[in-house]
Amino acid sequence: MITGNYKTRYQDDESIWNNWAKRWGFALSIVFLVVFPFVADNYMLLLAGQIAIFIIAVAGLNVLVGYTGLMSLGHGAFFAIGAYTAVAIHHEWPGTFPLITLVVSILVAAAFGVLFGLPALRVKGLYLAVATLSANFIVLFFIREHWFEEWTGGVRGTETPNAVFFGVELVSQQAKYFMIAPIMVIMLLFAQNLFRTRFGRALIAIRDKDYSAEIMGISLYSYKLKSFAISAGYCGAAGCLWAYFFPAILPEDFGLNMSITLLVCLVAGGMGRTLGPIFGTMLILLVPEMLKVIVSMVTDGDAMAQRYFSPMRDIVFGLMIIGFLIFEPMGLVNIWDRFWRFLSRWPFAK
Amino acid sequence: MGQFIQYLINGLISGSILALIAIGIVAVFKSTKVVNFAHGHLIMFGAYFYFTFAVMLPEAAFMPSWVAKWEPQWLLDYRGDAMMFSKEAAIATWVSNLPRILLGLVGALAANAVLALLIERLVMRPLLGQSIFAMILSTVGLIWVLEGAAGLIWTAEAEQVPTLGPNFPIRFELFGTNLFLFSASLVNFVIALLLFAGLMLVLRYTRSGIAIRATAEDQSTAYGMGINVPRVFSTAWLIASMTGAIAGAILASRTGLSPAMGLFGLSVLAVVLMGGLDSFLGVLIASMLIGVLEAMAQWKLGGSVAEIVPYVAVLVVILIRPHGFLGQKEIERI
Amino acid sequence: MLTVKDAELSFGGIKALDQVSFEARSGEITAIIGPNGAGKTSLFNIISGFYRPQRGQILFDNTDITRMRADKRANLGIARTFQNLALFRGMTVLDNIKLGGHIRLRSGFWTSGWFYGSAQREELALRAQIERDVIDFLELDHIRNAPVAILPYGLQKRVELGRALAMQPNVLLLDEPVAGMNREETEDMARFILDIQERWGTTILLVEHDMGMVMDLANQVVVLNFGRQIASGSADSVQHNPAVIEAYLGTKATQEASLQAS
Ligand SMILES: Nc1ncnc2c1ncn2[C@@H]1O[C@H](COP(=O)(O)OP(=O)(O)OP(=O)(O)O)[C@@H](O)[C@H]1O
Ligand SMILES: [Mg+2]
Repeated sequence: MITGNYKTRYQDDESIWNNWAKRWGFALSIVFLVVFPFVADNYMLLLAGQIAIFIIAVAGLNVLVGYTGLMSLGHGAFFAIGAYTAVAIHHEWPGTFPLITLVVSILVAAAFGVLFGLPALRVKGLYLAVATLSANFIVLFFIREHWFEEWTGGVRGTETPNAVFFGVELVSQQAKYFMIAPIMVIMLLFAQNLFRTRFGRALIAIRDKDYSAEIMGISLYSYKLKSFAISAGYCGAAGCLWAYFFPAILPEDFGLNMSITLLVCLVAGGMGRTLGPIFGTMLILLVPEMLKVIVSMVTDGDAMAQRYFSPMRDIVFGLMIIGFLIFEPMGLVNIWDRFWRFLSRWPFAK
Repeated sequence: MGQFIQYLINGLISGSILALIAIGIVAVFKSTKVVNFAHGHLIMFGAYFYFTFAVMLPEAAFMPSWVAKWEPQWLLDYRGDAMMFSKEAAIATWVSNLPRILLGLVGALAANAVLALLIERLVMRPLLGQSIFAMILSTVGLIWVLEGAAGLIWTAEAEQVPTLGPNFPIRFELFGTNLFLFSASLVNFVIALLLFAGLMLVLRYTRSGIAIRATAEDQSTAYGMGINVPRVFSTAWLIASMTGAIAGAILASRTGLSPAMGLFGLSVLAVVLMGGLDSFLGVLIASMLIGVLEAMAQWKLGGSVAEIVPYVAVLVVILIRPHGFLGQKEIERI
Repeated sequence: MLTVKDAELSFGGIKALDQVSFEARSGEITAIIGPNGAGKTSLFNIISGFYRPQRGQILFDNTDITRMRADKRANLGIARTFQNLALFRGMTVLDNIKLGGHIRLRSGFWTSGWFYGSAQREELALRAQIERDVIDFLELDHIRNAPVAILPYGLQKRVELGRALAMQPNVLLLDEPVAGMNREETEDMARFILDIQERWGTTILLVEHDMGMVMDLANQVVVLNFGRQIASGSADSVQHNPAVIEAYLGTKATQEASLQAS
């Protein structure tokens, strides 16, 4: 049984890794991230890259939905903006240094985030949900139309560039992984830091009681827009990496489906928690893969049965959303917390 | 000018259908405070049910032949040798379709009602009292469940479904220009508006209507006054599913069946927010406005622009009037 | 310190405030009393910027703040507590109180996200200051890491006071700080209020229904009834003002009627 967690300096108490379990957990995860690409095959690396990119986007959504308490059904749009910005940059200036592309993608997506965040200054909850839903359709509309076809490829989509670092082109899945994983770790740590300091606390305050936050001197206007900008920026980063990771992109990749998937990853993982996006994304992206394996095992690869796979995946996806909301609205992180609480009290209590 | 009136008429007709769809969203919101993002998919189910009962079932082997095609002697006499697209021929076709249209409507209404009650019981009831966020997201989850289920159930290619009214072209002159519309559209328009008006009257004057309005005002007080609140919830979902079934049948006969119908429901959501979530009148105005704007966009800018009209419009309206045209503003007291 | 001049506020037909004028003198406790619905909370709301008065002025140190945004007023040093608790329910006691330091800290998005360096220094300084001036002072040390949502009502009220105190305010508005508390908790709270006044010389505005407490603490009392200011002055003078007695006990006629009925 662990009886307490004592500190003699405020600095230790305020640290992110204020106990040994967290310190070890973090160290082990880093080790895992480094070792993984050497033992994984291409399929696993493909999945891992996809998951890492999604984690960034979901962490961004978490800033807005989980911490600031503002609803969004439109973050797929910012993802798309990040991806297409990366493509456009490489179209205009081939061979741009990838980190520059990344930063520009983030900035452009953040700017759009502010634009579509404007309704948040006037409405909350449901109205905001529909306003952001509109962002989805409007952004995709412009991507599909012929006006920007040179950059976006219109409805037919476009091929995407590979990242080139100092003359080395990242072609293999493994090489791309080594670009994506560190960016993910840095962005997650940044978000984690944000929410233990002044800036992040202000966002949480807005979520919990907006008028109370206001009289504490927090400007709702500026913080809500900043929150939109940050979360859109994270999605923009994810979009940029997505463009580097996959050989081609289509407007459909970033539709309502993606916006909802991001949200579902967040809910499944746990909103307003650092680990939430990580757990949730892994679950939501891995379940369809497992389903695929199960279906092909049960049917022995029967072509007729394959037909049922896609509707079944949809049903499972929908049921997972509803199931989480009904049975575990705080997400996987809550289960994780319960587990650790149990361990720390064992054997005296459950 | 002539073109303008033509598109105005088209817009009003599609506006009336938007309004019919919107009723379902408003009714559910008013009584349960849930905004149903899956309403479009309820409509899609209505459409597929209509297809099942009006097309698939009558063609089944065990069905008497008159269900699929009812041709009493007097009808054949009436038709005589009327021209292909003439009024007489259209009416005769409609009459011979009547058994299956009725079967389709009754079937769709019943099946959709059962579906809605299941949803209300299994999904919405357990979430009672949860946050708006959970409510929204659970109906979003329903979208996937319903879409997947439709994909499993209706595997065959969907064919043409019979229109609710006889379908012949009507030509007439107004302000010196020739205008044109299909009679079936006119029938749809009338059905939609009648249903809309009827429901408003029901809500105003009947017992269950008053119960719904009381619940809309204040759930717990309504409960305290002896109103059976769970029954109010079921009633609201029934209203939504049944208007949805008819809207589904209309949409299926207008634009054909497709899984994309569900997404159409999302644009109606935008319309509803524009009108004001809790105001039937506001929603009617918004529906007509969007119907007309869409038609105009179609005319001047093309179909893909028309598709995003509701979304742009709702953004603009929310920025100017956060609670829509006639929606009630919720005041926050501290 | 804080002057309200001819303030008027109405909601549709209801006049929540009508020609209210008074001055809260620096370092003193000004109590605002009145029957339910008299407009006391509304008065606080126009002072802290939640509503704009339709007419009249609010002066803070002789600067007009009538149209200033609420968050800007916090920067001037106006802090308040709410009649119905308005804590950040998803946070711990410590985080709630830290928010009081928001206006004094400087770190923005980048420094916060990077953390090490200025943000860390600032946070640690804030923590030390809060521990000393708020947590120790209000005797909250046993619950500093508890989520506020699980605390009993009396403690939540105290945390809210702590949060306002962490703003190091010049003017502190307390909206019914002891409503619903028992004798002991009320006495604790009264002691804290006096200590705050003594230790920091804070100007305090106090809305309270507990007359005993008001008469003990207040240097000045303002009485509202149906939005109108019917009396102001020292506790003693107000207590014997016939208009006040009437407002609280009803008119002569109704008093007699109720006497007869009993
Ligand atoms: N947002 C609002 N909209 C409409 N009326 C309001 C609003 N806020 C307050 N009022 C009305 O203004 C009047 C004064 O209310 P206020 O809350 O200021 O009273 P109070 O003196 O604080 O009463 P209590 O002792 O019950 O707290 C009341 O009639 C109240 O109903
Ligand atoms: Mg009050």
